[in-house]
Amino acid sequence: MAQLSLRGIRKRFRDTAVLHGIDLEIGDREFVVFVGPSGCGKSTLLRLIAGLDPISEGEFVLNGQRMNDVPPSRRGIAMVFQSYALYPHMDVYENMAFGARLMGLDKAEVESRIAEAARMLRLEPLLQRKPRELSGGQRQRVAIGRALVRKPQVFLLDEPLSNLDAALRSDVRLEIARLHHEIGGTMIYVTHDQVEAMTLADKIVVMNAGRIEQVGSPRQLYEQPANLFVATFIGSPRMTIIDVVREGDRLAMAEGGSIAVTTAPSADTLKLGLRSDAVRLEPGTTGDGFAGQVIYTEYLGDNAYVYVRLADGTLLAARTAPNDSFPPDAPVTVKVEPGAGHYFSAEDGRRLAP
Amino acid sequence: MPHLRMTGRGLWITALIVPPLAFVALFIVYPIISAFAYAFFDWQGLRRGDFVGLENFHTVLFVEPYRSWTINAFKNNVIVFFALMVLQNGLGFILAYALWRGLPGARFHRIAVFLPVVLSTIIVAYLFKLFLHPLFGVVNISLRGIGMGWLAQPWLGQGNTAIWSLIVAQAWHMVGFPTLVFLAGMQRIPGEILDAVRMETESEWVKITGIVWPLVAPSATIVFTLLFVGAFNWFELPYIMAGLDGSPFGSTDVLGLYFYRTAFGNVSSGQQDFGLGSALAVLIFLFVAVIASVITVRLRAREIQL
Repeated sequence: MAQLSLRGIRKRFRDTAVLHGIDLEIGDREFVVFVGPSGCGKSTLLRLIAGLDPISEGEFVLNGQRMNDVPPSRRGIAMVFQSYALYPHMDVYENMAFGARLMGLDKAEVESRIAEAARMLRLEPLLQRKPRELSGGQRQRVAIGRALVRKPQVFLLDEPLSNLDAALRSDVRLEIARLHHEIGGTMIYVTHDQVEAMTLADKIVVMNAGRIEQVGSPRQLYEQPANLFVATFIGSPRMTIIDVVREGDRLAMAEGGSIAVTTAPSADTLKLGLRSDAVRLEPGTTGDGFAGQVIYTEYLGDNAYVYVRLADGTLLAARTAPNDSFPPDAPVTVKVEPGAGHYFSAEDGRRLAP
Repeated sequence: MPHLRMTGRGLWITALIVPPLAFVALFIVYPIISAFAYAFFDWQGLRRGDFVGLENFHTVLFVEPYRSWTINAFKNNVIVFFALMVLQNGLGFILAYALWRGLPGARFHRIAVFLPVVLSTIIVAYLFKLFLHPLFGVVNISLRGIGMGWLAQPWLGQGNTAIWSLIVAQAWHMVGFPTLVFLAGMQRIPGEILDAVRMETESEWVKITGIVWPLVAPSATIVFTLLFVGAFNWFELPYIMAGLDGSPFGSTDVLGLYFYRTAFGNVSSGQQDFGLGSALAVLIFLFVAVIASVITVRLRAREIQL
């Protein structure tokens, strides 16, 4: 069982406030991903949970016990570091045994735990190797193994894939998902990569500038982003945001055409968010929709993304069939699928119900 | 055959390399080689006598009183080496660890610890000689001042305290050097490795013995080797603090002083003997070279690529 509560967590380094009051509940066996741009405070938050840095204000409670002043080694938490941080002078076996022995486990228990971790992570042939004799992916597995043998209640992973090449990255991602399924501990995973976040998480915590922007499942974040930041951060290509004015039952862009809507928030000015699959492109400037000009096309095989410059200068991404041809500079009309738009307040960027 | 062209660059390089090479050859290589040669001859003052083979070596090692002098000086060097290993390098490691962990005032102490290293040995030796003066020295005055006058004694005047006084002065003088080297070694340890240890233990002892010490092994190699060489070539500080005879009664005599006395003579030991002196110099050189190589090779083997 592992139940984590973060209550009003603040962190300051000297005079610089890095976290401005984080409230978060994390349940047992959950896979939680902290995601956000660099500098948003996600790694700092992870280090506070680990106990590597002191919490300036607020409370961290693990299973009903206040953890603020408990040293890292006694929190029942293990961490996998971005650089793996393996002990360079110890072989793989010793790297895993070091922490286990410090827990006061007897020899047989240490051995059986290492054997189990080695089997799970396919490390058996590597046990006598030194870290420098391992590839990046192997080091990564050792780092995870070192965390596993301590049988922690909570696993922390700090950007564990960022030092791997693209091909290995998706392999290890699968591996981590499988591990979480197999051992069932609570995992907290920090990344700036939204694909990792979307594919791994039960629950995503989107952070920005020391605050939580939204907490939810990948589907919730994608389908109902709470604000402009989450809307543009989650999803690739980025959601296009268009400033529109309400004219009766139409939403108009300044000198750039308008679209008919059945339901839309009552505000006079709005920000309309359009994902690439919410729009349809038609050649020419005829009819209903936003006028634009094709900039370029990204061909991806199973589909293609066409980037269109709208009348007010906004760049819009539209997903099209791979065989559709939209030559550069050609004028196009952007049609919006009914009900596919997201609406945000023009004042504070918060989501508005249609 | 490769064609060597004397370009302007080549000329420059030659012009810059030849003078220092010539200097080293003349003042370092040549004297070393001639010392080797001198050791095999009989000497009458500055005049070279007959070739005597290994007799000079035999004399300093096996003929009294040279034999006792050699053993006594060597024994003192061994004491100095091990004592400095603990005092200077041990303390240096602890200081480096404290500085590295950023205890309050680390910035000030980093400079304070290293400052004595910059001082000339002559200044340090003279200062400590004043400190340890039996009547007017600050050490004895302080001891009397805090009511521990029974501890006050002629530190440099008794056989059992003199060598240790010298060792303490030397350790104070040079402790900044191992500190600096160890500190540099510690600063090379990646922060995440330290974080990883902190996740597993809060014991400073385990952190030091399990992680920090093995990872600063390259620094230890340098520091150990230099200390070894330094301890067996020790000269200036005992020369200034205890004099050429290693007084009192040879209790601070070390190989450096003994060699100097033998080769160049002094008031008490009478005439100089280049042959015996050179033989001693050769023995010291061989001993230091062989052991230092062994130390370096053995310690290198346990160094770790970070």
